[in-house]
Amino acid sequence: MHINVQQENGVCRLQMEGELTIYHGQEIRDGLIDHLAANNEIEVDLGGVSEMDTAGFQLLLAAKREGTRLGKVVRFVSHSQAALELIDLYNMAAQFGDPLLIPARP
Amino acid sequence: MAKTIMVVDDSASLRQVVSIALKGAGFDVIEGCDGKDALSKITGQKIHLIISDVNMPNMDGITFVKEVKKMANYKFTPIIMLTTESQEAKKQEGQAAGAKAWVVKPFQPAQMLAAVSKLILP
Amino acid sequence: MSMDQALQTYIEESRGLLEEMESILLRLETEPQDEDTVNAMFRAAHTIKGSAGLFGLDAIVSFTHVVENVLDKVRDGELLVNDALVELLLKCCDHIGLLVTIVAEAGEALDTEQAATGEALAAALKSMIGGAGVLDATMPAVHEARLDASGGGQLEGDNWHLSLIFGRDVLKTGMDPTSFIRYLSTIGDIVSLVTDDSALPGLSELDPESCYLTFEIEFKSEADKQTIEAVFEFVQYDIKLRILPPPSHLAAFIDRIEHASGNTDMLGQLLIEAGILTSHELDGALSAQEEMMGQDSGAKLPIGEVLVKEGVVHKEIVDVALEKQRQIRDTKAQEAKFVRVSAEKLDELINLVGELVIAGAGASLQAQRSGDVALHESTSVVSGLVEEIRDGALKLRMVEIGETFNRFQRVVRDVSRELGKEIGLEISGAETELDKTVVEKIGDPLMHLVRNAMDHGIESAEARVAAGKAAKGTLRLNAYHDSGSIVIEVADDGGGLKKERILKKAVERGIISPGQSLSDSEIYNLIFEAGFSTADQVTNLSGRGVGMDVVKRNIQALRGTVDIESAEGRGTTVRIRLPLTLAIIDGFLVGVGKSAFVVPLDMVLECIELPETDRRAADTRNYVNLRGEVLPFVRLRDQFEVNAAAGKRENIVVVQYGGQKAGFVVDELMGEFQTVIKPLGNVFRHLRGISGSTILGTGEVALILDVPALVKLAVAREGQMTEKAA
Repeated sequence: MHINVQQENGVCRLQMEGELTIYHGQEIRDGLIDHLAANNEIEVDLGGVSEMDTAGFQLLLAAKREGTRLGKVVRFVSHSQAALELIDLYNMAAQFGDPLLIPARP
Repeated sequence: MAKTIMVVDDSASLRQVVSIALKGAGFDVIEGCDGKDALSKITGQKIHLIISDVNMPNMDGITFVKEVKKMANYKFTPIIMLTTESQEAKKQEGQAAGAKAWVVKPFQPAQMLAAVSKLILP
Repeated sequence: MSMDQALQTYIEESRGLLEEMESILLRLETEPQDEDTVNAMFRAAHTIKGSAGLFGLDAIVSFTHVVENVLDKVRDGELLVNDALVELLLKCCDHIGLLVTIVAEAGEALDTEQAATGEALAAALKSMIGGAGVLDATMPAVHEARLDASGGGQLEGDNWHLSLIFGRDVLKTGMDPTSFIRYLSTIGDIVSLVTDDSALPGLSELDPESCYLTFEIEFKSEADKQTIEAVFEFVQYDIKLRILPPPSHLAAFIDRIEHASGNTDMLGQLLIEAGILTSHELDGALSAQEEMMGQDSGAKLPIGEVLVKEGVVHKEIVDVALEKQRQIRDTKAQEAKFVRVSAEKLDELINLVGELVIAGAGASLQAQRSGDVALHESTSVVSGLVEEIRDGALKLRMVEIGETFNRFQRVVRDVSRELGKEIGLEISGAETELDKTVVEKIGDPLMHLVRNAMDHGIESAEARVAAGKAAKGTLRLNAYHDSGSIVIEVADDGGGLKKERILKKAVERGIISPGQSLSDSEIYNLIFEAGFSTADQVTNLSGRGVGMDVVKRNIQALRGTVDIESAEGRGTTVRIRLPLTLAIIDGFLVGVGKSAFVVPLDMVLECIELPETDRRAADTRNYVNLRGEVLPFVRLRDQFEVNAAAGKRENIVVVQYGGQKAGFVVDELMGEFQTVIKPLGNVFRHLRGISGSTILGTGEVALILDVPALVKLAVAREGQMTEKAA
């Protein structure tokens, strides 16, 4: 897992690359806490997420909630197939409130 | 990218049949002929699931599972133990070591695939 | 790599392993065994078996399984290696080699001789480990979703409700809820899924390796509860699983509970038997019960309440199960009040009581003759007691006919379906008691009558409607006691018997001669004659060659009679009249010359003296005028050819049977008498009018009159005479 950080017009862009899984849970959690503390608006790009499991999902959900609690914006964009599938399976798109690009099912 | 499963058993034919079935279902397969051989083949690559026999020469399945669970990159990898109906104690031992899933020998390829699909998707 | 190549690998691998086993075995003969070598040998057998399973080589699996079991015992030190064992195992290696060559390589089966060798070896191995402990090595069948016996299709919205509460540590074991939920959709449809994230803590308190989510799933599936539970078997210790069946299953579940075998009166086991609860769920509920008790430190909560509280089983179901449990317990309690006695012992007792009755009668007779009043009184007390004992003993053998009747519910249901007719069964008089031996023998004739009534008696629904009757036919089984007999009626509200057709057929078959005039009842009874069948079509139900004549014979063998009443268009009633018991009767003793005869008392109406005028006229006619009624009679003297001059006076014993009266002309009336029926020997079987014999207190033999036969005879003769006279 690798997180690219970019600052742009007061928005912190986090680009997640690789596995969003339990193996990297600690590292992702700490990163999210730090960026949330330092920024008012975070945009997490999930386009590079090759794999996502329940641990990863919980982190995204907790980050979103944490943002709301702190009055900050946490936004997830460009969901990868892996991320979309899990959010869809858990029927949680509404909780995230981010526009999702649902690919046409084969 | 296809997910990878490691199959550890001292029977070459068992490994072959299981490999055929798993590859047919869209997985990549790494084979190990006993615990020791398998450990030597775990070199940092991503492994999504391990299927291991219990009774093997050189290093048995229980020891192998314990070793895998010590490795940071593999400690959360699900493991299926291949047990026999007469080895209830071994099954318990395997579960304690961290191998929560099991398939009872002798099994048919379809039964193995069913167990695998309860744990991971291709 | 293909399966063929894999099979080739298997064959080579097996041969290598067999060689290894063989060399270990040969070494064992000379060197002491050590753990490694024995383990290696075990592993070899184990591997051959395990891989054989993958190729579906069942013959190899089952044989090597036995070998593996023996080696397992050797490894555990439970079985010692000796020359005999080594010898046997070497032969087994040879046999496995043979199996590999024939079954795996050539793809054929062993010939009979080879198979026998295998079986002999397996048997020898099994005897080594005492047979026990050998597990059956049948190949587990590939998992198939078993259909739930809920009957009918599933309704829209008729879903299973699953609630998955994963343990915190489930992710750490490598198990992810996603994969189980995805697997679930391979055995059904996830209609809706709600993820409950309320336990998810704030980001900084969150342990990324813990699971905080729970799921509520509406699941549509034909799979049964066990199958659904099995999806989660790998996380069974890391999940709190609730599986509530679809509403449509409730009725089926209730039905299953109501039809439970009654083998258990434990609520949990009852629910498991009905497929509502899995044993895993029961274990969970039992430990929850323990916990609750610990909390309240009070009384144990009933398991039913725990199950409802834990959301495992619907309350309705638990209520039904509790009711069933109560029923089972009641039955058990009732059973406990009964003592089971073998029928043989009972028969012995009744036999003895019979002897007692005879001996008692003898004693009474002696007392009477002695003129000793005190003795006479004592014997009459004894007689009274003996009578009670007799009644009591006979009651032991009395059973209600209801059970026999109830068996026909099923018969009527099945047969009416088979015939495509709608027929209901009404039962009355189920509590009527009769002797067990009679009950046992009446089943077959009844079955025939019931089938006959449904097949030939009750018309098709169309015909019934056309005749202005209800489309649904009714069959009635009724029983009641009537003057010492039990009467069993099989009645239908069908088309009734058609006299013309019966007559025509009877003439055709040569049963009667044309122009013979018969009463209605006589015509109906023709259908009991051998070789008579009224149905235009022979159906597969009653037209099986077993005719009504067999029914009649069976009933006669029980000292019973059968007659028919019928009204065209309205139905037919077959009435069977049977003695309550086959063993003892109250008799009325009469004398003719020096011979004694017994008339069953319950058939005796009255005794009158044969008036002198009638006595003289009796030579020309066989009836007397009884208060204005014609009473046909039989002279026992003539009937049984008693060679003794008639006494000064003669008496008539008036009997009634089956609605007909007749008189028996005798010399002497000797009074009431209890008697035990002894069957007649084969020599006397042909005797008409005698149904058995008995021994009098004096040691003399008295013949028991077959009243039904004699009444029939008297009535027939009287009819003939009247005809001639006319």
